[in-house]
Amino acid sequence: MSMSAYYQTRAAHHGVVTSDWLAQSQEAATRAVVTGGQEIVDGGKSGRAFSVIDEFNNWRKQPDLAEAVAAIRALAAVIRNSEAKTMMELEIELKKASDSLKSWDTTSISLTAGCDLFMRYVTRTSALEYEDFNSARSRLIERAEKFGEISYKARKIIAMLSQDFIFDGCTILVHGFSRVVMEVLKMAAQNKKLFRVLCTEGRPDRSGLRLANELAKLDVPVKLLIDSAVAYTMDEVDMVFVGADGVVESGGIINMMGTYQIALVAHSMNKPVYVAAESYKFARLYPLDQKDMGPALRPIDFGVPIPSKVEVETSARDYTPPQYLTLLFTDLGVLTPSVVSDELIQLYL
Amino acid sequence: MVAHGRQCKIEGSQATARQTAELLRSVISQQRVPYTNQAGALIDAVKAVGEQLIAANPVELAVGNIVRRVLHIIREEDLSLTTAAIGELNLSAVSDDENDDDRDGNTTLSAAAVAAAARSTLRPPSLQTLLEDTPVSAAVPQTSSSGAADKSSRSRKLKHDVIEAVNELIQDIVTCHEQIAEQAVEHIHQNEVILTLGSSRTVSEFLFAAKEKKRSFRVFVAEGAPRYQGHLLAKELVARGLQTTLITDSAVFAMISRVNMVIVGAHAVMANGGVIAPVGMNLVALAAQKHAVPFVVLAGSHKLCPLYPHNPEVLLNELRSPSELLDFGEFSDCMDFGSGSGSPLLHVVNPAFDYVPPKLVSLFITDAGGHNPSYMYRLIADYYSADDLVVQRRAIAGN
Repeated sequence: MSMSAYYQTRAAHHGVVTSDWLAQSQEAATRAVVTGGQEIVDGGKSGRAFSVIDEFNNWRKQPDLAEAVAAIRALAAVIRNSEAKTMMELEIELKKASDSLKSWDTTSISLTAGCDLFMRYVTRTSALEYEDFNSARSRLIERAEKFGEISYKARKIIAMLSQDFIFDGCTILVHGFSRVVMEVLKMAAQNKKLFRVLCTEGRPDRSGLRLANELAKLDVPVKLLIDSAVAYTMDEVDMVFVGADGVVESGGIINMMGTYQIALVAHSMNKPVYVAAESYKFARLYPLDQKDMGPALRPIDFGVPIPSKVEVETSARDYTPPQYLTLLFTDLGVLTPSVVSDELIQLYL
Repeated sequence: MVAHGRQCKIEGSQATARQTAELLRSVISQQRVPYTNQAGALIDAVKAVGEQLIAANPVELAVGNIVRRVLHIIREEDLSLTTAAIGELNLSAVSDDENDDDRDGNTTLSAAAVAAAARSTLRPPSLQTLLEDTPVSAAVPQTSSSGAADKSSRSRKLKHDVIEAVNELIQDIVTCHEQIAEQAVEHIHQNEVILTLGSSRTVSEFLFAAKEKKRSFRVFVAEGAPRYQGHLLAKELVARGLQTTLITDSAVFAMISRVNMVIVGAHAVMANGGVIAPVGMNLVALAAQKHAVPFVVLAGSHKLCPLYPHNPEVLLNELRSPSELLDFGEFSDCMDFGSGSGSPLLHVVNPAFDYVPPKLVSLFITDAGGHNPSYMYRLIADYYSADDLVVQRRAIAGN
C-alpha cells in the first residue's frame, strides 16, 4: 500500500516510527531518488543535473519549516541555477519545476498552493515593473527567500489575532499537532492567560501526545482524551482550535482525520470552531464530499496483526465544510469562511 | 466633546457619529501640517483624538467607526494625490530635462512601479500582495516634487480634499435614513404584517416610506421593556395612519406565527455579521428563526464596525440603572447595603444590549443596499483600512 509523502514528512517531524512505516519510507526514498534524478531541469547546463525535487527534500527536512516555504525555496533555487535570458524562458522553466514538484506529491495541498502562489506572483509582477531582466531575477530570488520569514511572521500575526478570543478560565479543545496552533497557545501562555487544553490523542499519528508534551513544558494544564471521548467532554469545552493542511475555496478546511467529526459535535453543541491557517494554504479546490479529494493514505499500526481480508480505512485526512467553522485566523486577518473564495478570486482571476 | 459625551450622554449612534465627524473635521482643519509626510501628521493627530474619544465611551461603537473612516479617508486622499503627482512628474520629466537634479534617486523605479507600490499600501493584506515588499510609503514622490510653491499647494490640497471627503461622510451620516427608507417599497408588500421591537428612527422612517407609496400593512410593536420605547413608536405609527398592535416582549413567541417579516434597527453591526441591538432582540431573532420568518436589520453605514466580537455580551454591553426596573421605595429593604451582612440578597441587572449571532439574520439593509450577513466583511473592507483596527499612537514599539 502506498503512503502519502506529505504524511511521511509529518511523521518524520514527529519522530513517530513504526516498523511498517520504516519499510515504507525506505521504499519511498529509493523511489524518490530515482525519479528525482530524472527530473533534470534543462537550463542548458551540460553535465551538472539540478533536481528541484532534491532541493525540495532538503528544505522540508527541517521540522519548523512549512511545506509551502520549502517549495518556494526550491523554486528560488531553480531561478538561481537557470540560464534563461528572458522572463518568458524563466517562467517556462519555473512552470516545469513547479509541475514536477506537484506531481511528485499529489496529496499535499499546501505544496500545490505554495507553488501556484509563487507562479502567480512571478507571472503577474515581473512584466509590469521591471524592464531589466537581471534585476527582476534577483528580486524574485530575494522575495522567494524572504518567504520563509513571511511564513514565520504569519504565525506570529495569527497568534496575536487569536489572543483576544482566549479568555481567562477557558477550556480549549485541540486536535492534531499544528505548529500554528502551538504558536497561538504559546503566546497565550506567555501573556499569562489562565486556560486549559484538552488534547485528542490523534491516532494513528499520536500527535496529541506530542502536543501534550509541548504544552506541559509551558506549564499549561493539559488533559489527554482518546478520539472517541470528544463528544463526552464537549460540554466543558469553550472553543475548538485546529490548524489546517489546506483551506479550500468554499471556506472549508482539509485537516487531519477526525477534524470533521469534532466540528460536527462542536456545532451541534453550539461551540465555536476556530481554524488557524496561514494564507498561503488557500487552495483552488472545491470538494463536494469526503471522497472528492485525492486520497492521502497513512498506514495504521493496530498493534495486532489484521487478517488479510479485513479492509482498513487508511485515509489520513478529511474535509470539514464551512458551515461548521466559525472563524478563520489567518495572517490576512480574522476571516469568516466566506472570505476565502473572495481572496482566491482576487488572486487567480 | 469627551466631557460632553460623559455627562449628558449624546443619545443615538447617528448623533454621536455626526458629532465625532464634525469634531475630527475641525481637528484636521486646525492641524498644521509639515511639508513632508503630511498624511502621517494628520493621521497621528486624528489617532490621538480618536483614542481619547473611544476610551471615553467604548460601548458606543459608532465613535470608533467614524474615527477609522476618517483615517481611511486621509490615506485614500493621500494616495490619489500621490498618483496624480506621479502622473505630473512623468510628464514634466519627459519634457523638462533641466530638472534632472531632482530626479536622482528615482530613475530606477518607473512610474508604474511606484503606483503599484502605493496602491498596495492601501489594500488590505491579501494573497496578491503576500510576496510583495511593503514599500516606503509616500517617500518617493515627496523628494521628487520640484519647487517650494508646488509643495505648499500640495499640502493645502491634501487638507482640502480630506475635509471635502469628511463633509461627504457627514452628509452620508445625516441622510442615511432617507437612503435606507428608499428601499422600503422593495421589501414591504401589500397586506403584510411586520413585527418590530422598541423604537428605532430608521425603522419608523422605513415604515413611513412604505406607507407613502400606498402599501397597506399592519405593524406589531413589542414594547421593549424596561424603557418601553415601543409605546412611543406605536403612537407615531398610529399618527401616520398605520394599523398597529402593541404587545409585550414575552408575547413575541406567541404572536410570531402571524407575522410575515421582522424589521428592526441595530446599535452596531460587527465584522462577522453579528448585531448589537437593544435588549430583547435575540429573543425576537430566535422566535423568527423558529417560525421561518425573515429577520431584517436596518443599519446605517456608520454602524458597521470592523471588529470581531469575541465576548460581546460582556465587553460590548452597558449596564443601566436598576431604577428602570424597580421602584426604590418599595424594595428599599431588599436592596439595603447597610442591613444584615452588608451585601443585599437582591441584585438587579439591567443590560442595555443584546448580541444577535449572524446565522439568525436574514438580510441587512444599509444605505449601500441590501446584503447577506456573510457579505458584511466586504463593506467593511471598503470603508476601513487594515492599519486602523487598533487606534493607537505609533509611540508604542512595533508588535
